[in-house]
Amino acid sequence: MGSICGVSRSRRWLVLTVVASASVLTACGDESSSPDPASGETSPSAAAVAGKALFFDKSLSASGAQSCGTCHVPSHAFAADPATEHGLPVPLGGPNMDQTGFRNTPSLMYASFTPPFSLSDGPVGGFFRDGRASSLAVQAQQPFTTPFEMANKDATEVISRLRSSPATFQAFIAAYGEGVLADPRAAMEDIGLALAAFETEDASFHPFTSKFDYWLQGRAQLTAQEQNGLVLFNNPGKGNCTACHPSQAQGFNSHALFTDFTYDNVGIPRNWSIPANTPGAPSPISGAPLVTTMAPVNVPADAEYTYYDLGLCGPLLPSTDDAHARPDLSATTTLCGLFKVPTLRNIALTAPYFHNGVFNNLHQVVQWYVTRDVNNNAGNNPNPVPAGPGGNPYMLVGSFYTAADGTPDLYQYNDLPVAYDANVNVGEVPYTPPTFGGGQAPTLTSAEIDDLVAFLCTLTDGFDPVNPSAYNVPAQCQPVMAQPMMGQPISN
Amino acid sequence: MSTSCKPVPVRMLRVAAILAAAASSVGGIAAAAEPAHKSTAQRQIDALTQQLKEVQSQLRELVEQNRQLLQKEQKLEEEVAKVSQPGGSSAVAGTTATNPVPPANSVLPGNPALTANPVPPASAYANPGATVATAESGSLLGGVKLWGYGEIYYTHPTHDNTRSQADLARAVFGIGYTFNSRTEFNSEFEVEHAVASADDRGEFEVEQFYVDRQLYNSVALRAGLFLMPFGFLNEHHEPTNFYGVQRNFVETLIIPSTWREGGLNLHGDTSFGFAWNAGVTTGFDLSKWGFAPEFPPYTTALDLENSGAAPLQATHQELALANAEHLSQYLALGYYGIPGLSIGAAISTGDAVKVPAPPNAPLPGNQRVTLWEGHARWTPGKFDLAAIYARGTISNLAATNASNPGSPNPIPSEFYGYYLQGAYTLWEHEDYRLTPFARWEYYNMGSRYEGTTGPVLPAGDVPLSSSPGDYGTWPVNRDRVWTFGANFYLTPHVVLKADYQWFKLNSDFTRFDLGLGVSF
Repeated sequence: MGSICGVSRSRRWLVLTVVASASVLTACGDESSSPDPASGETSPSAAAVAGKALFFDKSLSASGAQSCGTCHVPSHAFAADPATEHGLPVPLGGPNMDQTGFRNTPSLMYASFTPPFSLSDGPVGGFFRDGRASSLAVQAQQPFTTPFEMANKDATEVISRLRSSPATFQAFIAAYGEGVLADPRAAMEDIGLALAAFETEDASFHPFTSKFDYWLQGRAQLTAQEQNGLVLFNNPGKGNCTACHPSQAQGFNSHALFTDFTYDNVGIPRNWSIPANTPGAPSPISGAPLVTTMAPVNVPADAEYTYYDLGLCGPLLPSTDDAHARPDLSATTTLCGLFKVPTLRNIALTAPYFHNGVFNNLHQVVQWYVTRDVNNNAGNNPNPVPAGPGGNPYMLVGSFYTAADGTPDLYQYNDLPVAYDANVNVGEVPYTPPTFGGGQAPTLTSAEIDDLVAFLCTLTDGFDPVNPSAYNVPAQCQPVMAQPMMGQPISN
Repeated sequence: MSTSCKPVPVRMLRVAAILAAAASSVGGIAAAAEPAHKSTAQRQIDALTQQLKEVQSQLRELVEQNRQLLQKEQKLEEEVAKVSQPGGSSAVAGTTATNPVPPANSVLPGNPALTANPVPPASAYANPGATVATAESGSLLGGVKLWGYGEIYYTHPTHDNTRSQADLARAVFGIGYTFNSRTEFNSEFEVEHAVASADDRGEFEVEQFYVDRQLYNSVALRAGLFLMPFGFLNEHHEPTNFYGVQRNFVETLIIPSTWREGGLNLHGDTSFGFAWNAGVTTGFDLSKWGFAPEFPPYTTALDLENSGAAPLQATHQELALANAEHLSQYLALGYYGIPGLSIGAAISTGDAVKVPAPPNAPLPGNQRVTLWEGHARWTPGKFDLAAIYARGTISNLAATNASNPGSPNPIPSEFYGYYLQGAYTLWEHEDYRLTPFARWEYYNMGSRYEGTTGPVLPAGDVPLSSSPGDYGTWPVNRDRVWTFGANFYLTPHVVLKADYQWFKLNSDFTRFDLGLGVSF
């Protein structure tokens, strides 16, 4: 027992990756998926059934209050539900559910199409926001024993809890047998495989039922605003979003996945709501000072702050259990601050945004993109152009870059030590750095931002071409009017 | 050389002599065995001896005749070689230099022009504009042919010196083998941009690789990877064969020179100068199309030709694991029966590999690529006048383009170009020749679109690359270009070139170029 279809344990990660990439399941005995003659649909494999049970089983955590599904909420595209995170952009966990994570929970939707991590042509692929896990199966094992998440001490404790959870236990041994439980580490691998099978097989993780998909099929109409938003999305001089979030299929799947799985440092503002950024901040639950387990990595001695989340180069290293994980990049400081480009499918459901959850809605995100290097932050421009007649037509009404006290932060790209500012992407639209030959104008107007957001909302799954009015889109996707934008010209 | 006039081989004469001597010996032995009839035998021996002397005398005459024939043949070969050498007779130099673009189908066996030409037909198969070194007959390399060509550019955009470039654009080596008078193989191997490696832009390519078999006197079959007989330049693209430092835009952006396909063809000609060529080949692959270039695919005139962004440059397959689900057909016709005039036209059509439709979307109809062209050239006296028109179409693109709104690079339904060119040999001395020229050219890589109004190009300055601070305007995919320049031939096989190109719309492309071309 303990093997899937006769595949050796050491190679299962590869099998799962291949299966995930192909999105096709190979029939292999009674453990595999098989067509259901009654429904005409494919019934889940025993592994996927076990994975589903594991995914939603809170009893497998030290707190008894946290499962994968606690942070990866199905109704939020398997990302976090802000309403249950006590106002934090990061999840709470630990034995008492009072320890904070350090990153915004990523969506698991369409994650199964992610290629393995590679550095051959720049960093690409891998799992977690920093690619430190080589496969979905490896990634899925880690939260069980992460201190600020499900907080089991080790694999033995996880297996012990599994034995105490009858329904999940039965599903697990139906797939893998009971014998493997004698080897907790091997059993953890099977738990990872089961979760990966669930995320790979279950159509709810990759339904491709967005309005955009039906529009491509000729079964839905985009509104003029949505259509214009797509034009702006693709236009290399306006949104240029497609450069990293391709709206065309790229070979990972026959559908467009709206990510190229590369890594980028976009210089997002620091989010002071992350407790790791403000040690000693009070817990939103108890009011007691929060303890963060994150240790600074690659933070220069003269940096502005003592802790930064630097993505590929820290603070977390690759798993020592994952022979195929990305190499340890902690010494490669040119990669500091790079995070994996996420899919934009269901992006309207996955607020807050970016790895630190600094933005609460898509309008903010797009506004920030097109004004990042405009004079919204004196620290970003060594030679700011004065506002007013004959000068910069864009007037500051605020800044996304703030210090802990809410005042404008003079440091350029303040969630990154100045020493790594050179890692920030300044060479692509929609950024308009001070060197930009066209001047300091954002590449999108307020109305165009609205159009772009309207298009992004069409990437929400669940559109029914037979009943278009039933499309349940988030509040931020309701018909939008042009909103004032930071850096808008002052009207007389 | 033809085998019909070869002298009797020396070794055959030697065999005859040995046989005669043997016969004489046999006679001698017989005589010794019959002493009773000595007088009769002696008479017979005397008669035979006399006959032998006569045979020997005749053999000596034959040997002498053979020696003279061999000398004559050697002399002829030396003369031929002399004529074919760079700096050879002015008649042949004129073939290359004053008529840098031979008729597209001059490769035909039995071509009357070739019959009258001192250059052996075998070399004309491979590269009419070049000299072919053939290994000495009788050696281990007998039948092997070697040739080559290459060109180096210096290009200087007049608006932006920072984009000046120097490039060993191509170094090409040809290898051929003549199996017999009716069957031969030719191939060309090309290194582009000096260094071909994973970290460099250069490429190593097989440009031609085919076998010719003469079926009848004026009809031959060709199979393999071969150049398509379109326009002036595609088949005859050696730098000594065209005016201007770099190739013209019509015959790179519309006709995707160097355009080659895998397949087979039949080609032939008639005694009155009509030539034809028809074949079945691999076609184009539209699934290779990139709808979302983040940066302009070209920012200089040199880039424009090298980027492979033109419709058929971006989708040709070059027999590199080519999709062969659909095959294309082509027909090329030419007439060169009037001295100094050559005219021709060609058309190719075939279904392409489609752009993949989104999952569950209705499949578009067949996406057919058709390209046709017509060209004419007239060389009265010192003038060299040429014109070409080429047009391509691709069908059923509405759904494909409509699913990529905002693309700066949709697939065009139609593209075309033309030029008029005039050159005049201003000065000649020995091998030197100076020929100024002017070319008036228009290209449009997207004159009609389906499913979109056309490329959505960013206005104003945009990043031209991911290098911070590299900004400029996104070029348009059409232009009117004037080219003024001169070819200066040191020999018919070595040319120095200079030109100035003025672009009307993409004014940043305007440039000054220098070039060195070699062909042998």
